[in-house]
Amino acid sequence: MFDSKVVRRRRAALAIFVALSVALLTAYFGESGGGVLHTLQRGAQEAFAPLETGATRALKPFRDFFGWVGDTVDAKDENEELRSEVEELRKRLAENATGAEDAGQLRGLVKLQRSEGFPLGTEPVAARVIARSPTVWYSTVKIDKGRSDGLREDHPVIAAGGLAGKVTSVTGGTAEVTLITDASSAVSAQVMPSGASGIVKPEVGKPDDLLLDFVNRSRRVTEGTTVVTSGFTSQRVESRFPRGVPIGTVARVDLDEVELYQRVHVKPFADLQRLDIVQVLTEKGQPRATAGTVEGPP
Amino acid sequence: MRLTPGALARAALLALLAVILQLSGVGPMRILGGHPELVPLAVGAVALYAGSVPGAAMGFCTGFLLDLAVGGTVGVSSLVLSAVGYGVGRYREVRDPAHGLMPIPVGAAATLGFLLAFAAVSFMLDVGAAVSPLVLRDMLVSTALNAILALPVFALCRRLLRPVLLVDPFERRRRRGPAREPGPLGLRGLEA
Repeated sequence: MFDSKVVRRRRAALAIFVALSVALLTAYFGESGGGVLHTLQRGAQEAFAPLETGATRALKPFRDFFGWVGDTVDAKDENEELRSEVEELRKRLAENATGAEDAGQLRGLVKLQRSEGFPLGTEPVAARVIARSPTVWYSTVKIDKGRSDGLREDHPVIAAGGLAGKVTSVTGGTAEVTLITDASSAVSAQVMPSGASGIVKPEVGKPDDLLLDFVNRSRRVTEGTTVVTSGFTSQRVESRFPRGVPIGTVARVDLDEVELYQRVHVKPFADLQRLDIVQVLTEKGQPRATAGTVEGPP
Repeated sequence: MRLTPGALARAALLALLAVILQLSGVGPMRILGGHPELVPLAVGAVALYAGSVPGAAMGFCTGFLLDLAVGGTVGVSSLVLSAVGYGVGRYREVRDPAHGLMPIPVGAAATLGFLLAFAAVSFMLDVGAAVSPLVLRDMLVSTALNAILALPVFALCRRLLRPVLLVDPFERRRRRGPAREPGPLGLRGLEA
């Protein structure tokens, strides 16, 4: 009934595919960013970009329909939340205007130079999301702007006024953005106005709830305050983001008796599950290749 | 499945369609926290209609394409989808399923297997972040969505692969239908 030759051939086929996959995994981890597999990956991404752009545009009505159903269900709750947020922000705006006036005067008194962080020292480039990672374990999106538009690796990416991620790989016409919800992401951040600093990390499977970890227990953090990028280099993680990019608001604070640090839950400003348009913060005055420029060895 | 250039072209077209639609079409559609997963459905369909070895080959190639297109760790999806394709193919070879609704449980099982195995491999590769139990909920939602999508996706895959299949399990079912009436008793043996 069972042909042993067929059984052997079938098992051998499976063993070959598994061995090939493991070899690919090992080679990918072992090589540098300029290795064969990484180069192949960049080439494939460039080749797929026109297809992905076409598919994104063609299927937009379907995505909008599903989005509309979800939005309609959430609209009432969201409306109430936004009303209370507007009231809170109006109060803070008045406080900030007074604070900015005082800060300007004090800066003049001590002759402190104004540092060009966000948004003064950056030039935003708008881009459309053309593909996104299919699993929760890798939170990446692909955008339709690349090296020819002035994008470089580590440029910060924002959406809806909040930090969304950073550029991790660039080709001529596309770029890959690793979101702050990716398992490998870590952003040094500060709570404003208290100045308590920590590292924002994601929790896989909860894109609306980031964790601000390593915040000293002695620093008081209150709900509703804003978390921004701190823009400094710590021993644990080097910040690739300019100072002052808003990340989100403090949603909850966990105070564990045993822990040295408090855990702050942050609700991101950017809706990271529904990114359609993003902005890449390029450096101001950075030269850009024109559309007709061909990059190649001199 | 006959190993002809036509069969390879059809399988390649199916893999490309599944990957592109997954990344740019259904991937961004969030429904109750989950989203449809076209890739395991396509691999499961090929394995169900063509068998374990074509299923594993399709899984490997589609996974490789997916990893290249998405910029993820190359090899993870290939490993997981090869196993999914082989598993579904073996089920077909051992049980010989022929029921018209078979794509629903097969699609759901292929999706759940893919998601669980992908999570396991990701854990082994050292995830540097905390993992929420909500991941399990999202997996179940995606599995349910794929169970709904399984019938049309499998039908489309069958239509594409039918000319190159050696044996179509659903075709055989039709042949197993009721025997022809031989006619009235007195005329037996006289029909053409």
